[in-house]
Amino acid sequence: MKTLVIGLGNPILGDDGVGWRVAEEIARVTAGRLQVEIDCVSLGGLSLMERLTGYERVILIDAIFTGKNPLGSVTTFALDSLADLTAGHSASAHDTSLRTALNVGRSMNLPLPADDQVLVVAIEAQNVYEFSEELSSAVSAAIPLAVEAALELIRSNQEGE
Amino acid sequence: MERITIDPITRLEGHGKIEIFLDKEGNVANTYFQVPQLRGFERFCVGRQVEEVPLLTNRICGVCPEAHHMAGAKAADAVYHVDPPRTAKMLRELLYSAFYVTDHTTHFYALAGPDFVMGPDAPVAERNILGVIHKVGLEIGGKVLQCRKYGHTVIEMIGGRKVHPCTSIPGGLTKGITEEQRKEIEEMGKWAIEFAQFSLKLFNDIVLGNKAYVDLILGDIYTHQTYYMGLVDENNKVNFYDGKVRVVAPDGTEFVKYSPKDYAEHIAEHVEPWTYLKFPYLKKVGWKGFVDGKDSGVYCATPLSRLNAADSMATPRAQEEYDKFYKTLGGKPVHQRLATHWARLIELLYAAERWVELVTDPEITSPNFHTIPTEKPTEGVGIVEAPRGTLTHHYWTDERGVVTKVNLIVGTTNNYAPISMSINKAARSLIKKGTVVTEGLLNMVEMAFRAYDPCLSCATHSLPGQMPLEVTIHDADGNPIRVLKQFVE
Repeated sequence: MKTLVIGLGNPILGDDGVGWRVAEEIARVTAGRLQVEIDCVSLGGLSLMERLTGYERVILIDAIFTGKNPLGSVTTFALDSLADLTAGHSASAHDTSLRTALNVGRSMNLPLPADDQVLVVAIEAQNVYEFSEELSSAVSAAIPLAVEAALELIRSNQEGE
Repeated sequence: MERITIDPITRLEGHGKIEIFLDKEGNVANTYFQVPQLRGFERFCVGRQVEEVPLLTNRICGVCPEAHHMAGAKAADAVYHVDPPRTAKMLRELLYSAFYVTDHTTHFYALAGPDFVMGPDAPVAERNILGVIHKVGLEIGGKVLQCRKYGHTVIEMIGGRKVHPCTSIPGGLTKGITEEQRKEIEEMGKWAIEFAQFSLKLFNDIVLGNKAYVDLILGDIYTHQTYYMGLVDENNKVNFYDGKVRVVAPDGTEFVKYSPKDYAEHIAEHVEPWTYLKFPYLKKVGWKGFVDGKDSGVYCATPLSRLNAADSMATPRAQEEYDKFYKTLGGKPVHQRLATHWARLIELLYAAERWVELVTDPEITSPNFHTIPTEKPTEGVGIVEAPRGTLTHHYWTDERGVVTKVNLIVGTTNNYAPISMSINKAARSLIKKGTVVTEGLLNMVEMAFRAYDPCLSCATHSLPGQMPLEVTIHDADGNPIRVLKQFVE
């Protein structure tokens, strides 16, 4: 399956940059040995959907704030298991939630992965609203765990082929 | 006293909170549009090389990084007292025109569209771009995505990246375009002109052809008489990239026209204790509160303001639409805030025409796209029109070009007072003694400020992400008695 790994987030907003750091680390440790494309973007909604066209499987790595897990916890889930908090409603001007954007794209017959093939590796973080290029220590410590979780997802798919 | 809260506003970037306070009779006593985010960006840039700042300001907002990049680039030029060559200015403006086409398109179809096409009383789950596509056809959804694709392609060719441009440096750009790229950009530009005309026709058929909407647009609820601000060229025509800032009074006469470097003589900021965002106003008129009229220093900076502040458009098809606009609405200036959506589409057409105009200029492919600065860096101001209003970047540096201070007045910030006034007026007119608060009604209050296409991420230079919508109604003792949510837990 054509696979894309994306580090999401804003690299100058503190812990919101963890997605990029994990993706960069994956690229470093695999040194081109994997048959996947790795990228870092600061996008959401429609723009993110446009970036996913042409891939059958996507792994998104991002900071998340649920308030329910300790900082630095790494969880993995498919996009369709995430409650669409905006109930299809745009949560932002000029934009939509990723779920809505994917539905828009699919209705246009764009080649996009199914919701159960969009997998999220989420790192629990809190400090995502202050400008900084540094990660807090709990989130920084989660990087190797998130790398491993993402590699698991990549490997599990490749073994099945 | 009862309290109705719309928190945060849907279809809006950034975080905002509307609090509506009712008195014992159930009428609106007061409204507050609170912005609880703190500005942080201006601190973060201190200590950086000034040529880095246009790359950092890109990240204030994921939707309009191009605007911040351009304002930053022009401010950095000014800091180094260098004038970029004509080709560089044209390339920047070309990128900027393509950006405007993409941005205004996305706004109209994803944000404003749902209100007009679906109607303010349509169920929540349908009041979004999917609902619009469902109603008007898949073809339109396809065109919107096509438009975005073209715009981002041009931005990538000139700006180096699809979303966050990185090719502006003090004195110009790091690269130009080839003839092959030029041809491709021209083709896309021509498509964009047709798409803009198509969008105006759609607006004409769906909105202007519907009496209920026309009444809504012309109604007093969404009308305010304030000063209007916009950037104009030397012929007083609308220009998004360069020119002087012109302000006209509520009666349409020119109040002032100033160069970017003089902005601080004309604009001051008023502070209120209940919100982090400040309220800019015209210094020479003075702050008189959240009121209309020529004695109040409140001014507005939106597509509507730009059309009001200028004498005409610089391209022919847009000029035709400009004339039709004012003829239909009864002359200049237009004070009905919902007409901003129409004004935005006229700007969309101008941006597409300007795109083709610039890319067919013979100098656009010239290799002369950078002038090396030779003066010592000190201080500089860069002003552009962001889609949401006049954007001012002011940087101070030491003699090495290291930033010592930053001041940003962002598009939406200009409009903070007008937005507050629009929400207040709409709430008062729509929520009255005994009126049941339905979602559609609350949505109409939100429509008041959505016309401004506000970006609170930009206004607060902070990016808090998206959150679900919750409305809390409090009784006279402040106890929450009713909670409405836009999401499922």
